[in-house]
Amino acid sequence: MASIIDIKEECALQVRNFDFTYKGAPAPSLKKVTMPIAKNAITALIGPSGCGKTTLLRAFNRMHDLYPGNKYEGEIEFEGRNILDPKEDLIHLRTKIGMIFQKPTAFPMSIYDNVAYGMRLQGIKNKTELDGRVEKALQDAAIWKEVSDRLKHDANGLSGGQQQRLCIARAIAVEPEVLLFDEPTSALDPISTQGIEKLVIELKERVSIIIVTHNMQQAARVSDYTGFMYLGDLVELGNTEELFVTPKEKLTQEYITGKFG
Amino acid sequence: MTAVQKRIVINKIALAFSTLSAVIALSFLFWILGVLVMKGLDALSWSIFIYEGSPPGYADSGLKHALVGQLILVGLATVIGVPLGIMAGTYLSEYGKNSKLAHTIRDISDIMMSAPSIVIGAFVYAVIVMPMGHFSAWAGAIALAIMMIPIILRTTDDMLQLVPGTLREAAFALGAPKYKVIIDVVYRGAKAGILTGVLLGIARVAGETAPLLFTSFNDNFFTTDLNQAMPSLTVTMFNYAISPYDDWQQLGWAAAFILSMFILGLNIIGRLILLAGKRK
Ligand SMILES: Nc1ncnc2c1ncn2[C@@H]1O[C@H](COP(=O)(O)OP(=O)(O)OP(=O)(O)O)[C@@H](O)[C@H]1O
Ligand SMILES: [Mg+2]
Repeated sequence: MASIIDIKEECALQVRNFDFTYKGAPAPSLKKVTMPIAKNAITALIGPSGCGKTTLLRAFNRMHDLYPGNKYEGEIEFEGRNILDPKEDLIHLRTKIGMIFQKPTAFPMSIYDNVAYGMRLQGIKNKTELDGRVEKALQDAAIWKEVSDRLKHDANGLSGGQQQRLCIARAIAVEPEVLLFDEPTSALDPISTQGIEKLVIELKERVSIIIVTHNMQQAARVSDYTGFMYLGDLVELGNTEELFVTPKEKLTQEYITGKFG
Repeated sequence: MTAVQKRIVINKIALAFSTLSAVIALSFLFWILGVLVMKGLDALSWSIFIYEGSPPGYADSGLKHALVGQLILVGLATVIGVPLGIMAGTYLSEYGKNSKLAHTIRDISDIMMSAPSIVIGAFVYAVIVMPMGHFSAWAGAIALAIMMIPIILRTTDDMLQLVPGTLREAAFALGAPKYKVIIDVVYRGAKAGILTGVLLGIARVAGETAPLLFTSFNDNFFTTDLNQAMPSLTVTMFNYAISPYDDWQQLGWAAAFILSMFILGLNIIGRLILLAGKRK
């Protein structure tokens, strides 16, 4: 049986009895996952490769819907409704729940246009408002100083770490409630990694964060809660400190002490 | 001789033969270009661009009619063929993907690409020229567009597929609807490739004679009427070249030279754009 902590604070998301099956797969990749996601906190997902971390993360913004034939069962509650409902407005959902990918995904356009992209999608055209919010987002993503003099330059001219922070700026510019990070630093050098970690911690004042990471030190450094997944199950969800120091499940203990994975 | 020595000898022989073949093939290319440049430059003069065609023996004869006609035909074919080719390629890459329908379209398009161009000319003759009762620039341009579409469709399809899927996902994750993802992110990412495909497509049809022979036919005079037969460099060159008149033959060489330089230029620009895109 899984050991899931009972979160006392308010929750941003509630996953209940969630099953996920990829198109044509003989068995579900996620099995009966039940998991509260605390509001204005950082929840890390750890576990060996192929255990379903990315699969779970991409369910929160219904990314799986881009590829037909995948099957959701169960419930993910967000703002009082089940977002797995087929009638859910995915465009609206994705402006509320943003995502940062493993590799930076700067669009082939200028730095400014990258950050303004999501806002323009929402119909914001006013130049003064756009200018202000682009600057604010870049400042909040701790990259304003580096790019303020070259906003019109191609975003692909930035370094990997800068591009990743640009992607974060782009995501927070539309003021989402939740941000999903899938191994956001695995393609970055240690200094850039440090920068992103610091940024993620600062961001939790405004958004609830779920971060998938292969790096247990990273989970321990940044997160408030940690979930350990194994073969499609959420084995344990606990306070990060408790989970790493006194895990309740034998499997968790074996994983964090490096017995497998 | 040991096995290794034998292999080395065979290697050397194979290398010698393939080098020789390459040299022979290339020397033909340079021979053609050399003759073309010599004869073409000889026949070239400013009057060619000023005067239209005239009966053999007249002093003031030129290629203005064929040059303008050629530009109109190719331009019209581009206007028809490029949007269709790009949209069909977009369907294949972004909507059809690996579906049966998409694969069928790709196969048919590949077959169309290798269809003899005279067959396409005959087809347009049957469905447009005959019902209309006369040759026209429209018919010629449509025949060229039909040849252009499979080339542009293919490159668009290939180039769009080169845009990383995560870039599309990132746009979707910001709440972009699909058509915005395609226009804002996918097209932008594939801009250089698509442009190259378009230029190569134009270059491919610009030198065609057969599809024009019984569609836009030919004319010895300047016209911009799209409902009438329209002269083109290729058909004019064909007519002049097989004529027994020396001055017409000279004009034929000039036409060949101008046409070749135009197509060579398109090809070079297309490749340069692709190269610049890759380097980025
Ligand atoms: N598109 C897909 N179609 C079918 N099965 C998939 C697909 N993507 C992932 N899977 C399967 O689902 C399971 C979970 O994969 P997932 O990518 O979520 O793992 P992960 O925990 O993120 O692993 P990693 O740490 O390597 O990123 C794996 O068994 C994987 O093979
Ligand atoms: Mg993963």
